[in-house]
Amino acid sequence: MTASVLAAGVLEETIRAFFQGLPIGAGFALVAMSFVLTYKTSGVFNLAFGAQAFISAATYYELHVRRDWSIWLAVLVAVVLVAPVLGLLLERLIFRHVHAASAVAKLVISLGLLVALPELFKLIVDYNREQPFGAVGIIPDGTTVYRLFGRYPVTRDEIAAFVIVVAASLALAALFRYTRLGLRIRAVVQSPRMTELNGVNADWVSSGSWMLSSFFAGLAGVLLVPTTSSLGTVLEPTGFFPIVISALAAAALGRLVSLPAALLGGLALGVVTTQMRTHVPRDNVILAELQGPALPYVMLFAIIVFWPAIRRQVAGADPLLGVSPPPPALAATSRSRGMTIYTRVMALAFFTAVGIWTFGYANNFWISRITHSVIFSIIFLSIVVFTGLGGQIALCQVTFAAIGAFGAMQFAQRWDVSVIVGMLAGAAIAAAVGAVLSIPVMRLGGIWLAIATLAFALFFHDVLVKYDWVGGSLFHGRGVPRPEFFGVDFSSRENFLILCIAVLVLVGVLVILIRESSTGMALRALRGSETAAESIGVISWRSRVIVFSVSAGIAAIGGGLLAMEEKLVGYESNYDPQTGLFWLVIVVVLGARTVEGGIQAGVAFVIFPELVLDRWLGLHGAWRYVLFGFAAISFARHPEGLLEHGKRRSQAMMQRMFARRQPAMAAATTGPAVPTAADPEGEP
Amino acid sequence: MSLLVADGITKRFAGITALDDVHVAVEEGERVGLIGPNGAGKTTLFNCLLGLLRPDAGSVSFDGQDITGLPVYRRARLGIGRTFQRVELFSGSSVRDHLLFAHRIRSGTGALWKDLIGLGLPKSAEIERCDALLESLGLGGMGDEPIEALSLGQSRLVEVARALMTQPRVVLLDEPSSGLDRAETNALADTLARIQSEQGFGMLLVEHDVELVASFTERTYVLDFGKLITHGPTPDVMRDDQVRAAYLGDFVAGTS
Repeated sequence: MTASVLAAGVLEETIRAFFQGLPIGAGFALVAMSFVLTYKTSGVFNLAFGAQAFISAATYYELHVRRDWSIWLAVLVAVVLVAPVLGLLLERLIFRHVHAASAVAKLVISLGLLVALPELFKLIVDYNREQPFGAVGIIPDGTTVYRLFGRYPVTRDEIAAFVIVVAASLALAALFRYTRLGLRIRAVVQSPRMTELNGVNADWVSSGSWMLSSFFAGLAGVLLVPTTSSLGTVLEPTGFFPIVISALAAAALGRLVSLPAALLGGLALGVVTTQMRTHVPRDNVILAELQGPALPYVMLFAIIVFWPAIRRQVAGADPLLGVSPPPPALAATSRSRGMTIYTRVMALAFFTAVGIWTFGYANNFWISRITHSVIFSIIFLSIVVFTGLGGQIALCQVTFAAIGAFGAMQFAQRWDVSVIVGMLAGAAIAAAVGAVLSIPVMRLGGIWLAIATLAFALFFHDVLVKYDWVGGSLFHGRGVPRPEFFGVDFSSRENFLILCIAVLVLVGVLVILIRESSTGMALRALRGSETAAESIGVISWRSRVIVFSVSAGIAAIGGGLLAMEEKLVGYESNYDPQTGLFWLVIVVVLGARTVEGGIQAGVAFVIFPELVLDRWLGLHGAWRYVLFGFAAISFARHPEGLLEHGKRRSQAMMQRMFARRQPAMAAATTGPAVPTAADPEGEP
Repeated sequence: MSLLVADGITKRFAGITALDDVHVAVEEGERVGLIGPNGAGKTTLFNCLLGLLRPDAGSVSFDGQDITGLPVYRRARLGIGRTFQRVELFSGSSVRDHLLFAHRIRSGTGALWKDLIGLGLPKSAEIERCDALLESLGLGGMGDEPIEALSLGQSRLVEVARALMTQPRVVLLDEPSSGLDRAETNALADTLARIQSEQGFGMLLVEHDVELVASFTERTYVLDFGKLITHGPTPDVMRDDQVRAAYLGDFVAGTS
């Protein structure tokens, strides 16, 4: 008797959770279908959907809430007008021109947009981030509760979200089935080249699918605002990350190529989410986390690692093994001796001048800026090691930096150990975490690695930081002392700067040693050809795990130094995942392949917004996100980075000038012309 | 005991039997050919030997050790070298780098800590070794050239050199003549024959070009429709009616 009552109660809870899960899943499904649409038709894995959803939601908010437009007019503008136009612009102006670029290059571009678009929007409409959003949905009286079958409560918002998604999916299915555009999209997906040979303009199809997917993303943006608590009271682009991650998980279930799988996967994940909340006991800390913010990240990570279809896809096909196209030789390897001496003398003179100015004349503000530049250079060398040498994209360097910072803090606070020892311990922990994290995903590489590391960064941000043993307790605060060792006190600004410079030189030398030695050789071989590298015995995943681990350690050392410089762990301002995306973008744009590239990115990251934007141009500092975000587009054409590209060009010019004076020497050093032999002849 | 043995290899793809109970063996220091018309299953067998495909039945062994389940890199480290039909080189690296990488992997000095204290940098002895091999393959003085600057014939030699730097006991060559004209093929064959007699590794040559196999190998296996139709000393195989039928068609075989 009691058992059956209990069972009936469980059944009722299950059904209730099912009905609550569907609308959440509907939102996931919408974004998941957007991913699949653009990935299938243009090979772009568009992480910027989060930004596109944000722009539609924020436009709607701006028009309806702040300017008192009617709901329907605001939706019309935000979703039906702004979203598709944005999609069209992105396709026409950017992605059409990088059609032949590698999957990783396209991913970097979408990351740049993810950083740039929301900031650009905020700058243009003077979007006030302080004002509470108040979670207004697009359905009038959306919080009205109905009871399905007389007992299961659902709100009007939830019903609307579900109905709209189902209607949109049916419309999409009808479009594919019955219209010319749908037929063409299907054909382009099967074989873009074959379709073009048959006289279909694949570009047009591509535009259509971008508008459609952007429309979906915008729709998801406005629909999800009321149903998702994580968006909270302030509408911020990062608020869309958990949704994007869940949608990625749904899209991954269909290997990013199946629309029905994305739809069903999205709905299923929504239902799983609410069932977990209903049935999993909360008495255990880990289980309690799994019902809350941790769930999307854990789901995505688990799907990437365990879903057999992904493994098969990676084993069987190339587009996801997106190793960059053959990068041109570095300028430094092709210059003549005279040029080398000249460059070194100039560099020495420059650094001497900066040094004299810094230690002799600079005020505290500029010493602090220069120290920051040095520290960010160290952090960015971790990106040089993994992305520049390894050719792979990881999005959790910021997390490793945070681990280094918290390591220094925790060791100093709890055990009264020297903060330097704490920082090194943090680096060791970061290296270990990096190794453990990367072993299951490193075999997949390419896009999957990027997504998995992003999931980890967000997991750290949304879950782990809250714990005392990671992010520290309110009681102790996040203060970090400056170090003192071997009798030298590094608490003054100048002394600490000297310490940071010493660490930068050391790390720079280590990076060069790695690049020129066995580990670097294995990585260069893998970059050149993974198949051939394995044929001589390179263990691809192991080399990458080692270097990922090293890179994690470097980032953690930089993170620890940053905490010491600021005398506290400024987690929110320095180490959040969005900042981490920008780090990757700025390094990759300026030059990820050389130590100098990393240092230049570090200087640019700190000095550029301060000096160029603010003082010289009188612009808001947020313009740096916009400028570098859009500059990521250049990565497709110059994967070696803009500075390296410029260096090579100016070097070629100077060598031509030399050549007029010293024809004999130039002839000996110019070397043969390098054809772009991406495809040597030979039968496939 | 043979060095490299494929025993009873069967491989099916979606109902099609690509290989049916195939047996191939290569002895130490021997030159063996594997021929067959298009679709005979040569590449499938090649991939099974290298570990790129797992056979549905049968086993592969090397020097008496069962290697059927080993991944590509483990086989490479045991001493199975290979070249590619469609050249696979490390774009962005110099010619010498190709040899250096292979040497490093083979000699196993690639510990990270050595790199970090500067012991992992290329040593002059290693560079001399690489240059000596390049010299003997007729690529002397090209060590610093970017790999993209080489002709196809030279690229194939670099692939051979790269494989040799791993000190293989057997080298599997995947259609080395493809994309080369007759004169280039002959030059490549001459160089291969010389270096093979100097170093004494075994060789399995998978080829389309019957002429090359006839002049170059001691023994030949012939595949057709996934079955081994004959094998034996190369001159005998070349006279075999079945082979002529498989290669030249029944009509020609019937009239000859």
